[in-house]
Amino acid sequence: MGKSIRLTLLSLVVVAAVGYLILTGVKQTGMQYMTVTELARLDHAPKSEGFRLDGTVAPGSVVYDQRLPKLQFKMTDGKEKIAVVYDGLMPDAFADGREVVVEGAYKHQDRALYASKLVTKCPSKYEAKGLGKDKS
Amino acid sequence: MSELGRLALALAFGCAVFAVCSIGWGLRTGLSGPLRSGRRAVWAVCGLALFAVILLERALLSRDMTYRYVAEHTSKDLPLHYAFTSLWAGQEGSLLLWLLILSAYGSVFLFAYRKRLDPFYDAVAMVVASVMIFFTGLLTFVCSPFRILATPPPDGMGLNPLLQDPGMMIHPPILYTGYVGFIIPFGFAIAVLLTNRSGTRWIEEVRRWTLFCWGFLGVGILLGARWAYIELGWGGYWGWDPVENASLMPWLVGTAFLHSVMIEQRRGMLKTWNIVLIVLTFELSIFGTFLTRSGVLTSVHSFAESNIGPWFLGFILLSATVATALILYRKALLESENRMEAIVSREGSFLFNNVLFVALTFATFLGTTFPVLSEAVTGTKISVSAPFFNRVNVPIALALLLLTGAGPVLSWKRATASVLKRNFVLPAFLGTVALLVALPFGVTGVYPLVCIFGAAFVTATIVMEFARGIQARKSVETGALPSQVTHLVQKNKRRYGGYIVHAGMVILFVGVLGSSVFQKEAHGPLRNGEALAIGPYTLTLRGVTEGQRQNASLTTAILDVARGGRFVGTEHASKAFYSKSQQPMTEVALHVTPAEDLYMILGGVNEDGSASIQAYINPLVSFVWVGGLVMVFGTILAASDKMRLRREEKAAP
Repeated sequence: MGKSIRLTLLSLVVVAAVGYLILTGVKQTGMQYMTVTELARLDHAPKSEGFRLDGTVAPGSVVYDQRLPKLQFKMTDGKEKIAVVYDGLMPDAFADGREVVVEGAYKHQDRALYASKLVTKCPSKYEAKGLGKDKS
Repeated sequence: MSELGRLALALAFGCAVFAVCSIGWGLRTGLSGPLRSGRRAVWAVCGLALFAVILLERALLSRDMTYRYVAEHTSKDLPLHYAFTSLWAGQEGSLLLWLLILSAYGSVFLFAYRKRLDPFYDAVAMVVASVMIFFTGLLTFVCSPFRILATPPPDGMGLNPLLQDPGMMIHPPILYTGYVGFIIPFGFAIAVLLTNRSGTRWIEEVRRWTLFCWGFLGVGILLGARWAYIELGWGGYWGWDPVENASLMPWLVGTAFLHSVMIEQRRGMLKTWNIVLIVLTFELSIFGTFLTRSGVLTSVHSFAESNIGPWFLGFILLSATVATALILYRKALLESENRMEAIVSREGSFLFNNVLFVALTFATFLGTTFPVLSEAVTGTKISVSAPFFNRVNVPIALALLLLTGAGPVLSWKRATASVLKRNFVLPAFLGTVALLVALPFGVTGVYPLVCIFGAAFVTATIVMEFARGIQARKSVETGALPSQVTHLVQKNKRRYGGYIVHAGMVILFVGVLGSSVFQKEAHGPLRNGEALAIGPYTLTLRGVTEGQRQNASLTTAILDVARGGRFVGTEHASKAFYSKSQQPMTEVALHVTPAEDLYMILGGVNEDGSASIQAYINPLVSFVWVGGLVMVFGTILAASDKMRLRREEKAAP
């Protein structure tokens, strides 16, 4: 019986260790999803700064300094806007009106999200609608 | 022509339904006639799928814009080879390719076992055919690749520039060959439960099929990483993107199975566990397709989003429920024949290996689906990305690395103290030496040091295993060392093939360590003649040129690369503007050496004529690819081993 108890104990240790890693991992690296409107209408600084936002690039808001490189733009969900600052090269598919996902730290005093990750959704899907209806 | 395509797919659907019913009837009644017709129907699905693929290829190659699929994914200026591979650029075509590979697996399976008149193999074919129903049904009723446009456009939308890459031409078919292939092990597992089959013969057969698709999946993952490295232009090859994770998960569980299957063969233990692993591998393969296609999670593959997600989710739920019910129903069949004798033994290490692989898969699964899960449980959507995976998965992966060294040299049943001493003292010593060598090079942090120790430790145990094998054959073998090694490997390809896979894994770990921990970055605007320094390299801008390609215009920065003041080559970093998509595509310049890659990106040309250049030094990236190749070589060796049956089964008449 000693062996099966030891085996169970060993498995428990592994499970506990992995569980610990996952829990602390989520706590320290997790980013909360928010809509642009929710974040823009916050009247106090949020408890944790990690956020993830989905939205589109507000047309005409893009300021890009290619030399640094530093990309600044306003992100919108149709109602509100939020400033995004990203230190990096502009992704290839990035443009006015494109759907983007940003992750980063929200600084309430600047009302800006300092993005550590910027993903542009590929637009091909939306353009394909221009092909019109099927015959069969 | 499009009607012909639709007809072929509808007929394939009919054949798949017929195959399942006919084989099912044959299995119930024991009549061989229905079994034979069912097998023929599986062949027919394969023929029809091939016919449909040829029809669609014909339309793609001739750019027949009346087809919606052709208009969506090609254009008249698209090079011919990309027109050919745009078959798997979109969803309908990908599903068709999936069906072709699935039915090819079914046919190859039936061909390989054509002489076995054992209903067990028919049951496997029935499982394959029931998955065919799902795919032919999707292609017939939900998303046909043969839709015709009411008003055909003069030209198509063009192929996504990201997919216009040589690696992308072969990445999907190879990945699918891996993904889809798990249908055969799954079929075996279900057939075992359906027909109440005991013994380990099937487990040996399943091991070879699993090795085959596991190998392809591995190559597919690596090609995907390679594509990300070259095409996505962010300096890395693995970003823990949901779709990357989706392909990694079945590979991890498959790896766990390939290990634990040895315990079942040797000791008749872990039967339920093995079946569960097979089922899980298959479900995760389907789940991978679901993640890629459903768009529930944002990823670099978002171009593949569509509305067929719910169908896949339904299919996963249904097949998993059936499998679970069968496992519970056949509990008695899966009773273990032996008990674990000691933890410090080969079985013990395999078990530990399995726990870790499953934990790794679980953590990856949890992290990947966390936004959905957290919303369901707490109401707030939380997402985790690369930092989470690095935090959770890296220590588990390192534990597995250490186990790679320990497992194979522990003896079965019980490892004695003398075995431990004989096998571990030297490797542990060499691992420590490697640590001491690494320290002056500025390696700090627990994980990098553990990785270096582990790499040296595992390498030493593998070399010792080879040396011991050669020593044991001293009396029969007198040739030179290389021929001795070759003969040793030939004598037991499975075992030494496995060691070679381990060696490849060690090389890969070293590559990952080097490129993740020691990456260097530099950037700046350069005018003609100006230089950017990064590590030992200096990049001097020689000029910016404009060029033209078949379907794109190119802006290229020409960079002279010098290392330590000595000129080593001229590289070209470009931005391509594809005429159809109207968006730029970064084309990375790579200066590859065995020790490091110099990775250069043209950010763009500024108003004053200077070029913004971003450069990375990625140490040891080539180790990742070389390690992968070594793993492939080892897998081929291990898979080519002849069948090994347990003694009692050999003795049976």
